[in-house]
Amino acid sequence: MNVDKTILLLKQGKHISEDTVYSLCLKAQELLINEANVTHVDTPVTICGDIHGQLHDLLTLFDKSGGVEKSRYIFLGDFVDRGFYSLESFLLLLCYKLRYPDRISLIRGNHETRQITKVYGFYDEVMRKYGNSNVWRYCCEVFDYLSLGAIINNKIFCVHGGLSPDVDTIDEIRAIDRKQEVPHEGAMCDLLWSDPDEVETWSLSPRGAGFLFGENEVNKFLRTNDIELITRAHQLVMEGYKEMFNGGLVTVWSAPNYCYRCGNVAAVLRIEDDLSKNYTIFEAVQAQDGVGNAIIPTKKTQMDYFL
Amino acid sequence: MERIVQQTDLDALSCKMAAVSKGYLPSKELQENVCGFSDYKTIHLEYFKSIMKNLGRRAQGQINRSLQSSFPVMNYGTYLRTISIDMVLHDYISNHNDDGFIQIVNLGCGSDLRMIPLLSIYPNMSYIDIDYEPTIKLKGNLLGNSEFFGKVLPADRYRLLSCDLSKHDEVINLLKEVTDLTKPTIFITECALCYLKDDDAQLLINSLISTYRKAGLWISYDPIGGGGEGPDGKDDKNDRFGKIMQSNLRETRSLEMPTLLKYRNKDSYSSRFKQLPDVNIDVRIQNLWEYFTKNISDEEKQRLKGLQFLDEIEELQVMQSHYVLLSAQW
Repeated sequence: MNVDKTILLLKQGKHISEDTVYSLCLKAQELLINEANVTHVDTPVTICGDIHGQLHDLLTLFDKSGGVEKSRYIFLGDFVDRGFYSLESFLLLLCYKLRYPDRISLIRGNHETRQITKVYGFYDEVMRKYGNSNVWRYCCEVFDYLSLGAIINNKIFCVHGGLSPDVDTIDEIRAIDRKQEVPHEGAMCDLLWSDPDEVETWSLSPRGAGFLFGENEVNKFLRTNDIELITRAHQLVMEGYKEMFNGGLVTVWSAPNYCYRCGNVAAVLRIEDDLSKNYTIFEAVQAQDGVGNAIIPTKKTQMDYFL
Repeated sequence: MERIVQQTDLDALSCKMAAVSKGYLPSKELQENVCGFSDYKTIHLEYFKSIMKNLGRRAQGQINRSLQSSFPVMNYGTYLRTISIDMVLHDYISNHNDDGFIQIVNLGCGSDLRMIPLLSIYPNMSYIDIDYEPTIKLKGNLLGNSEFFGKVLPADRYRLLSCDLSKHDEVINLLKEVTDLTKPTIFITECALCYLKDDDAQLLINSLISTYRKAGLWISYDPIGGGGEGPDGKDDKNDRFGKIMQSNLRETRSLEMPTLLKYRNKDSYSSRFKQLPDVNIDVRIQNLWEYFTKNISDEEKQRLKGLQFLDEIEELQVMQSHYVLLSAQW
């Protein structure tokens, strides 16, 4: 398998053979198995939120932020589900990881699991594209090796969802056995599922898993671990990003016009050497070009609206 | 355009079947215990089975696909739409059933089967379904040729009328023949006004309310575009939901919603029901996200959560904030 060639094919949304996906996933696993649960990343670096299979918008993201050939990236998870190109988006990121291992960190999101991808589209997409579920299985095995978080210059903690009542220190995250399907409860689950909110203390989440946490929990985590900021994704933000708790936490969302219907813009966050923050906002790729040719082929007539 | 609007009934039906098969509907707490509905699932499965036999292979495939991959956000939306209308109906009927007779007119009924439980609970109710001719013909055949529906549907108090809702005078003339103008009358427009031209919809609303001016209720469920700046200055100019909806529906299926961006918020949508100066009308409107957060009990929310893993709370909020339930009582 030739990684550069595969990257070219993926960028054009072309079919990748089952064998190629197999060897790509195997190589990715060999690489990811050696990464820590919380990977160390140096500045400058660009932090990206949920992608959700919106391949064309992922390409825009790289365009607008310098590209992996020149810049370092952290992806906060949720590469797959909902959009039409979950497979291509995930494989492109894997190819970049293989090609530029030090320039891209992939963190696991709550959609990178067997159970969730069966409900939210990735499984169906693979069945549609290959007629069997092999490619889905290869990808799910890679999901089990993705990191749970990253730490930038020992000062900025990156995670998909948020904090957990079972986790006080980042060292405790390092001790988790991550190579498994995401459990329904406990530290690993919470890191991928929790949300910040205006709450006094740990509260029940309206989602099926994880917790709500407030300013108190964030301040305690920042103090205990001697860090300045938590960056996370997981929640749609219409403006692309949202800072909370006196700047102690930020949500970054990188899927513009989410599900081709929400009308939101997307953002990525660049952290400079002095830890200053720069947001880049970007819009969704148009579904059709000026003369009516489809850029994003909508193969499936979607039941997106109540009619 | 007519055919394109008629096809939206298949969407509504697939959504309803998805919500039924995943257990969102019926709601024991609301539809069974409060409204008194029974056999909800059987009734819907029976109708679904027979309509599938009548559809072409392509339509069948389309419905089966959407049933298989029914997203939780869509099932929640279908649940909310159905429950909210049932509950408004129930509240009004329980307060107006004393004089013994009530009539319901479902404008643009499609495959809706509400009349079956309602007619069996209320022996003094008459129910009229109105839609385009092909829809009415199909529905009439499916109900009429079935032993099952012959038993559960009281045919003497149920009528199917074909009419184009954009012709308000025809609607009125048809209704005058089969209804009692002096009795309380409920009109339902569930995703029906949104397909009409502004003037046609307004004439339909005004003329029906004036004709049945003694007492009535209008229940309307529709999408609203959002965005723009309303009279209260509260609207979000960055809200592009309606614009994107308009272009998505146009591109994927050439479907038009002429007033989506005109009646883009709750106030402007309600204003259409206050155009008659001499009718005293009480108009209430909620978006369906408000309905979900305020009207659905914690127990019921807990039940829904157990059916499918709902990961997309924010998306649910965005979507449901753009659908409204109006009830106008006079």
